[in-house]
Amino acid sequence: MAGRVLYAGLQLLDRQLVDRTGRLCGKVDDLELSEPGADGNRHIAALLSGPGALLGRTGHRRLGDWLRRFVAGAFPDGEDPVRIPFTRVAEIGNHVTLDMDSEDAASFASERWVRDHVIGHVPGSRVLADQ
Amino acid sequence: MKKVLQVTLGILTAIGGFVDIGDLVANAEAGARFRMNLAWVVLVGVIGIVVYAEMAGRVAAVSQRPVFELVRERLGPQAGLVNLVASFFINFLTLTAEIAGVAIAISLVASVHYGLLLPLCGVLVWLVIWRMPFEWMERVFGLAGLALAVFVVTVWKVGPDWGSLFDAAASPHVPAGESPFSYAYFGIALFGAAMTPYEVFFFSSGAVEERWTRRDLALNRANVYVGFPLGGLLSLALMASAHLVLAPRGVSVDDLAQVALPVAVVVGKLGLAAVLVGIFAATFGAALETGLSAGYSVSQYLGWQWGKYVRPREASRFHLVVVLAILGATLFALSGVDPVKVTEYSIVLSAAALPLTYFPILVIANDPDYMGDRTNGRLLNAIGFVYLVVLVVVSAATIPLMIITRGGS
Repeated sequence: MAGRVLYAGLQLLDRQLVDRTGRLCGKVDDLELSEPGADGNRHIAALLSGPGALLGRTGHRRLGDWLRRFVAGAFPDGEDPVRIPFTRVAEIGNHVTLDMDSEDAASFASERWVRDHVIGHVPGSRVLADQ
Repeated sequence: MKKVLQVTLGILTAIGGFVDIGDLVANAEAGARFRMNLAWVVLVGVIGIVVYAEMAGRVAAVSQRPVFELVRERLGPQAGLVNLVASFFINFLTLTAEIAGVAIAISLVASVHYGLLLPLCGVLVWLVIWRMPFEWMERVFGLAGLALAVFVVTVWKVGPDWGSLFDAAASPHVPAGESPFSYAYFGIALFGAAMTPYEVFFFSSGAVEERWTRRDLALNRANVYVGFPLGGLLSLALMASAHLVLAPRGVSVDDLAQVALPVAVVVGKLGLAAVLVGIFAATFGAALETGLSAGYSVSQYLGWQWGKYVRPREASRFHLVVVLAILGATLFALSGVDPVKVTEYSIVLSAAALPLTYFPILVIANDPDYMGDRTNGRLLNAIGFVYLVVLVVVSAATIPLMIITRGGS
């Protein structure tokens, strides 16, 4: 990946994150840039994913901060935004493939909460409707 | 046979989009009030949805990215959110009307007030989404919806002077006694009904659910070219039957039972049975389409796992949104709103939100990053662009017309 030039605003932001098993796991909601290097350029250090990061980017920083604190309080294992080091990015195309499992990836805490407290209790939730 | 069954995604999408409760009433009402003077709008709408559904299906097959992902990706989070809120609201109104439509269809047979059937219908819709395989959903409700072809039989049995019917449709004018504003308002309603956004949400997500790939591009075209013109044909037949049977008798249409009237008069009992099956299947199919679209749009905007192709517990948030939407819509229908009014508003409002959905599709269908060598050709882009201009004009005119005509009355 090193050295590839991307128009981050166009080719990275708002793209779908996909984990190594093909599961959908959030969006590239924001980017973290490194400190300028010797050449004065900043590089992408990490992808940020989660509603908190999204709200921060769209200018609702205060609401975003509140949401972050809420997520941290409500979901003990929750973290918002999830910071995905750029080294865990496997491929960038029309979506971004990560070298990790969705369980560890972006904004999964609320998915886990809904699964364990609501949907998982409904009969048939473990059965594939296909075929 | 297998080949025939493969176009059911297009058929279900089109039946749900063209002859769901709103269109059933809007087309019959237009036929009774404006005779064949609005038939051209249906034709314009069919071409528009064919052009854009083909693009959306092609993008989904080549890149596995459904429409609402494209919306977020191209419009950005802010405008994407505006579109999400607007589409979700419109979708919710439509879902409400469809659930009521299913209940009305059953009540016409069961002689129970439809209000009593609403909770049952809500549960049924959810159960089908929860358990029935996606392909079976398409086959059962798409194919049963074809029973509405009895409207074609009706028109044929009336045995109209075909030449004058085509002349009437080909030389449209505002009929005496109607204002040009209400003519335009009904035109927008028919156009909005033909191009409702949930059709492309559902169609493109369905393509991903069915795991279409580059190899299925011919299948995409077959679905689009068979499904949507068929839906358009049914809605024209509906309009013509109202024009031929209801208008001469001075009957105006304001509920679902009157939509079936021309068939009952002309074809008789067997025809009536077919209409009831068709209306049930079409409204139920549209309820599935809008119920799923509620989940699709929210999940695809936020990046959640969605779809029936994984176990429900692996797409928990998606299923939660679907359940809540169905529950809310059922309660809203129970509050006693007039389902016909609800759909009328929903299709007119969807006309106002159309450009926000179709613009990103046109842009991405030209993006080699997504499409490789399968980008749009020049002719397709020209047609797509013309439609985009039409969509913008229509969306700007919608709300003023709604106010001037007081909702078409």
